[in-house]
Parts: sequence; structure tokens; C-alpha cells
Amino acid sequence: MSFSFKEIRVLETGHNTACWNMALDEVLLNSVNDVPALRIYGWKPTAVSIGYFQRMEEEIDTEKCKQLDIDAVRRITGGGAVMHDSELTYSFITKRYPQNIIESYKWICDALIISINKLGLDTKFSPLNDIVLNGKKISGNAQTRKRGTLLQHGTILLDVDIEKMFSILKIPSEKLRAKGISDAWERVAGLNKTFTEVALALKSGFSEKFGATLIVDKITKEEELAAKKLVEEKYITDKWNLGR
Amino acid sequence: MKKGYNVLKSQKLIKVSLEYDDLNNTIHSIKISGDFFLYPEESIDKLEKNLIGIRLEKNSIKQIIQQCLQNSEIFGFDSESMTEAIFGCLIK
Repeated sequence: MSFSFKEIRVLETGHNTACWNMALDEVLLNSVNDVPALRIYGWKPTAVSIGYFQRMEEEIDTEKCKQLDIDAVRRITGGGAVMHDSELTYSFITKRYPQNIIESYKWICDALIISINKLGLDTKFSPLNDIVLNGKKISGNAQTRKRGTLLQHGTILLDVDIEKMFSILKIPSEKLRAKGISDAWERVAGLNKTFTEVALALKSGFSEKFGATLIVDKITKEEELAAKKLVEEKYITDKWNLGR
Repeated sequence: MKKGYNVLKSQKLIKVSLEYDDLNNTIHSIKISGDFFLYPEESIDKLEKNLIGIRLEKNSIKQIIQQCLQNSEIFGFDSESMTEAIFGCLIK
């Protein structure tokens, strides 16, 4: 089944803290109307997000994060721990989407692939939730569905600092750590493009994929207030972040 | 009371923290984590709650997993691998 949209609301919300980023995604999930929203954003400071089902103490060296001024937050989506450093993050929120989960991942990842390939690259979908370039992962994606609305967010890596990544993600032993680093070098890559280049490509690619006119917008005062409330009541709290 | 922990690599990682009564051979508490996907996400709480007090017997555990997740969509594990992940806590 193919879906097209007349319009897509585009929000370029800049670089923000991990709590704010996750709060705003949840606000958009709760408030989107018939016009889907494409949000483009980054993280400042560098952050780590863990999946809904993960436990902070199992995945992240929280002391090291504090030392390096790295935010840590738990997502409302499943999947693994991700370091958000040199990357562009997007979220796409829609009330119309393929019900089949693999199809829905592919559906949105297709828009990402069209976008990235506009930069002269040859990326491909790697089920369930990755996009690869020459066999290396350049994008990881995760989604949730609440009350008939789908939110998919994901990273597009611009550059990868493997050493930094492995200094904050917990690895069981030195042996695995060594293996992990070499393995990660083999498996992960950045696009070596700028945030602005990828953002432009993304807008163009989503417009093309869904046949939609882009409505460049800003978050409303209500959305901003709702996100602030969610930061305070959820994303900054141990109850949420250490909740599993 | 005994405690166990196990990490099992299925399609995604499953991590289980288990506290069990070794006299009655029943689950006292269980926490399941990992990088899998499960919709709706809250199904995991239902599963953990329903596993409490259940005998550590493979068919019983597998049946509870299947019952609790019958209306959920799962990526990264199945009832077989989740059962295996839970039993791995006993071996270690």
C-alpha cells in the first residue's frame, strides 16, 4: 500500500538537550493532526539515549557521561543505546501509515534513502531498522505507536567517534571491548556531509517520497510548554530514566 | 532465595535478572531488558507481572510468554528464546 500526503509540517528545532529532544518528540506524537510532521534536530551537549526496554546501568557508564558532560536519557521507543554526537536526527510523526511493522519501517526509511542518495551516495535499507552505505550502518531507526499515531525517529551519522562511543557504552570485558571497537569500525560509518546538507536533502527526499508540499513551521507556544512540562515530569526524572 | 542474571543473543539482545525460590522452584521477581522492539511497549510489564509465582518449568514459562504477548508485535525474540534467556539465569 502506498500513502501520499498533501502536506508535511517541517520543524527544524536546532540542537537541544536530550530531555528536551525526547520530550518534544513525545509532544508531537500526542498532538499531530492529519498533516504529518517531520522534525529535524541535533543534540547539545552530546548525549546517549537508551531504548525503552534497556536499563541505564547495564548500557551506559553514567559516571563517565557526567565527566564528559554527556546527557543520558531513555527513549519511548525500543532498540539499543545510541550516542548522539555528530549526527542529524529526525522524527516523523503520522496518523496514516502501513500497519505492518516491517513495511512501516521500510516506508519511512525509503524517504531517508531517497534523501541521502541525493547527496551522491548509494544507501540501502537493512531490515528491520537500519540503513547501510557500502555495508556499514549509517542510520538506526526506532518507532512507537500510540493511539493510532506512529512516531519513527532515527539518526543519520555525519561522523563517528568510535573511541568516545565505546568509552561511554558499557562493554562486558576488555576482550569484548577490543573486539567491539574493531567490529564497530567495520560496521558503522558517517556520511562525511554537513548537518545543513543532510537537512536540505531530507526535506527534499520526504517531499518527493510522499508527494507532499513542505510547510516550514515552528513549534507552537503550547507545544513548547507541553515539552517543558514533560522534561520536568518525565525525562529528567530517575523514575523514567532508571525505570527498567 | 537465589538470584541469577543472563544475557542471550537472539535476533536482539535479551537480558534477564531473576530472583527465584529454589525450594518451591518458582519465580519471585523478574526484570527483562534488551534492545528488542515490542508493541505495545507496556506488554513487558504485564509479562513480568504474570511470571511472578510461576514454576520454573519450560512449558509453563513459555505458555505465560505466549499468553501475555499474544496481542503484541515482537521483533528481536520469540517465546522460545525468551524462555531460554530466563532459564539461562538458573544455570549460571
